[in-house]
Amino acid sequence: MADSPSRFTFQEKMLWAQLLGIFVVVAFYARFLQHSQPGHHYFHALVLALLFLFGAVRLIVRRRSPSVVEDERDRTIASIGARWSNVTLWLGLVVILVLYWDHGDMRSAAHLIGLIFHLLVLAGLLRIVRELIAYRTAA
Amino acid sequence: MKSAISNQVRELRAARAMTQQELADLISVTRQTVIAIEGDKYSPSLEVAFRIAHVFNVPLEQAFQYQPPRNRAQ
Repeated sequence: MADSPSRFTFQEKMLWAQLLGIFVVVAFYARFLQHSQPGHHYFHALVLALLFLFGAVRLIVRRRSPSVVEDERDRTIASIGARWSNVTLWLGLVVILVLYWDHGDMRSAAHLIGLIFHLLVLAGLLRIVRELIAYRTAA
Repeated sequence: MKSAISNQVRELRAARAMTQQELADLISVTRQTVIAIEGDKYSPSLEVAFRIAHVFNVPLEQAFQYQPPRNRAQ
């Protein structure tokens, strides 16, 4: 009958790992990329490496752990996070495109791509934070 | 905000000396979901609600109760 304090589910642990990954990427981006010379693509390499690493770890843990269960609550929370992410992406894209329509030219295309990348990071961050909050409060 | 659906899952489980993990395994959800259900933080699907009632061998309305919002304020 003794029920120990709540542990994290596999999905919740993965969310924390993703959050940590995003912070590592953003910290690296802020500290190093802005001081690097043009043509140095450490940041893109880091993003790709982190994505690959995360995917591999997740796959290995899922295969090795029999206790990994995804249930209806996990799916509900994932859909809440996806909704937040989608709304952020759509709103951000509309705002960016309207601004680009007014002020953009061919030379600002790189700036536009940079904005879209930041928007993707923001949407991902919001999704993770919203899901973590849902796991700790309600769903 | 509390859910309109409350439940007696904790009491039913305690009466049978069952752990949250055992109940979770029987109804195919995670232990965290059982914790959320018992704390009235998560209202399970109809199927999981029926599974819970089936595990405890009680009618659904004994395990789960619905309280309309206007009655909750009283």
